[in-house]
Amino acid sequence: MSDFKVMVRERNDNIHTLELKGYLDAHTTPVLEDAFQKLLSEKKYRIIVNCKDLSYISSAGLGVFMAFIEDVRAEEGDIKMSDMTPKVFNIFDLLGFPMLYDIVKTEDEAAKKFAEKSVR
Amino acid sequence: MRIRKLLLLLGAIFLSIAVFIINAVTKNIDLEESMIQYVRSAFVVISFAMVYGYVHIVKRERQRSAVKNIRDVALFAGLFLATYLLISFLPLKGFDSREFKLFPRDYLTILFSSTISAVAGVFGIVTIHFIKDLVLHKRKKTTARNYWILLGSMIVTSLSALMVRPLDQSSVIIGILYALSILMIIANSFRLGWIAYLPRKEKIYSLLYSLLAFFGFLAILIILSIQDGWTQKGILYYNAALFTFVRLSSIFGAVYFGMAFSSTLFHLPTAEAFDRKQSEISSLHNLNRLINQVFDLKELADTATKMVTEVVQASCVWLEIIPTETGVQTDALISAYNISNNEVNAMLSGNGTSIRSTVIQTKKVLMVEDVAEDKRTSHLPQIKKAGSLLVIPLLSHDHVIGILYATKEISYGFERDDIDILSGFADQVAIAIENARLITKSIEKERLQRELMLAQEMQKRLLPQQLPKFATLDMEAISSPALEVGGDYYDVVQLNEEQVGIVIGDVSGKGVGAAFYMAEVKGIFQSLSKISSSPKDFLIKANDALVTSIDKRSFISLIYSVINTRTGELVVSRAGHCPMLYISGSRKEFIKPLGLGLGLKAGKIFEETVEERNIKMKSGDVCVFYTDGVTESRSSSGEEFGYERLLDVVDAHRKGSAEDIKEAIIQNVWSYTDAKGYHDDLTVFVVKWIGV
Repeated sequence: MSDFKVMVRERNDNIHTLELKGYLDAHTTPVLEDAFQKLLSEKKYRIIVNCKDLSYISSAGLGVFMAFIEDVRAEEGDIKMSDMTPKVFNIFDLLGFPMLYDIVKTEDEAAKKFAEKSVR
Repeated sequence: MRIRKLLLLLGAIFLSIAVFIINAVTKNIDLEESMIQYVRSAFVVISFAMVYGYVHIVKRERQRSAVKNIRDVALFAGLFLATYLLISFLPLKGFDSREFKLFPRDYLTILFSSTISAVAGVFGIVTIHFIKDLVLHKRKKTTARNYWILLGSMIVTSLSALMVRPLDQSSVIIGILYALSILMIIANSFRLGWIAYLPRKEKIYSLLYSLLAFFGFLAILIILSIQDGWTQKGILYYNAALFTFVRLSSIFGAVYFGMAFSSTLFHLPTAEAFDRKQSEISSLHNLNRLINQVFDLKELADTATKMVTEVVQASCVWLEIIPTETGVQTDALISAYNISNNEVNAMLSGNGTSIRSTVIQTKKVLMVEDVAEDKRTSHLPQIKKAGSLLVIPLLSHDHVIGILYATKEISYGFERDDIDILSGFADQVAIAIENARLITKSIEKERLQRELMLAQEMQKRLLPQQLPKFATLDMEAISSPALEVGGDYYDVVQLNEEQVGIVIGDVSGKGVGAAFYMAEVKGIFQSLSKISSSPKDFLIKANDALVTSIDKRSFISLIYSVINTRTGELVVSRAGHCPMLYISGSRKEFIKPLGLGLGLKAGKIFEETVEERNIKMKSGDVCVFYTDGVTESRSSSGEEFGYERLLDVVDAHRKGSAEDIKEAIIQNVWSYTDAKGYHDDLTVFVVKWIGV
């Protein structure tokens, strides 16, 4: 049942999107960690995590974002999240993630935020 | 047994003396057909039957090797011959013979007759007894039967000699019986199975003793056959049956040891090969025993290399045990015999790895007939004494778990046989290694299990054993970890005369890691709650304490409330935790003040986000604190228990005690998940305000 997949997609605006699909828990976090690791090693620091097909995230899954956010922000990049289902958003919200991350409705909105920031 | 032995021996001696006295008394009397004659014969037969019984018991007490049996038979033959020689020097008058009967001329002759008869009788009995062991070695169904027929026919033939006069042995019946005995002697003389199993050295001894015994028996036969010779007459006079018995025994001995000699001679050329097979079998056997006894890999490897050295007579042997990926043992273990570890390492680390990797890849035996000439090995550092090299993989479930190397000083030193043996050996060693690893693993697992049980006990003690009691406040709590230990935490502390603090928390992750942080939270709560002015103040202090020590991908969610037990005022602050469920009259809601999880962000950001909420409780109000194990429990279809169900359950039982409400929640969650889908730590804390 713990089926989880990450698809990495490069947008044309030098932003990379991770599309999460399935059930992210302690067993499946390595998949996401590897994906982040790979982007960071390629010096890609503008990352959108599209949670459209993410059906559940456990505390271990939340930990993955915590693990990488500092490094990404230190490089002037960011991890933004989009397209969360209400259920998944509730998990992020409980822990106060909206206060730490940009969590927006759509991927484009997230991309716009990246653009705004680089203009500034 | 001792008494029986003694009785048999004394009986035989007593009867022999009796016979001697009878002989002496009736020196010149013809005893034919008289009673005394039968008594005399009976005494002789019984006395030797007793000797037979005696030898039988002695033999059964001591199991002896085949070679020792032959040696002793040869010794007895020698004893007989010595007695014969000794008596030859005595001035004996001999016998008169009348009507085919014998009459001693003096008493000395009677004494001599008794002595040689006794020696001959014992000799005959010992002979057939010892040969019996040889014949019945490797017995088949017919073997024992043939032997008993032989013994029976020998006895019958012997007794039949009593029917006629001593010097008139030419009866047809006796002739037929004699022929039958000889036939059975020949038949039994082919039972030489024991020779094949003798080690080479013992075969040589056996050859020597058989030859001695053969000539000994031949000499005795000649002595017995001298017509009118005094030995023949002496024994015949003593008892004709005895004479026949001794003669048949001697024939048996001569034929049997003649056959044994030639058979051993033919076995000698193959003796070495046979020895080798024997030692292989016993080595494999030892190895088998080793498998069941030795669970230490190093010891196992050392013994195996030593055994291999013995089995194929290799000059050097070494065994490399390749570590498993998830292994108990981390470095490759090398056990070397007659070669230093440095030399082995030089072989393996240099270009020599090509041989190693070839074997690992192909999983097949690799043989280098000539190390110096072969392309695969010519570059190897010259190993001492290595002319040829044999490399055998140890396979387990089609994986190479080790490699066995053996060298011989000469090139072309290994034979086809060696490969087969060592391959078989390697299989056994592989099993042994696998076995040892499994045992180690299960011991380790058991140890970890015990540690975990201990941790579980410890953790249970970190939770309050008993909640404090208040007249105005009814409280109940339960916590159940998903694994042996968990990351859920709840606690209650009496802050002052009026205020009581209730905390419930959840460490991210599960298991031992979470349990450690949970213990840390307990320490923080116990020390900081009393010096904090408010729940918010406590959470800020707790975050400061945790943020530096906690792993950056871990965090702790906490909800902390302080209740005034006199007024029913409740102040609650939340740090990333599930909201508090509050039911009061028609008001049913989840109270969710803002607040980040502990350990996520340091200092200011945390301080700015954390909120406080105030409630004034009325009689009958219910507050429920819980961890996400409750709301995120899943049914078998994958649906979560959720907040609505929790609210409904609590609402339905709000009239009950805190205990009732707690039980209702737990029962509902359990039945919802079928206990199967249930997979997280779960904690529930129920507070019911009774009021004044």
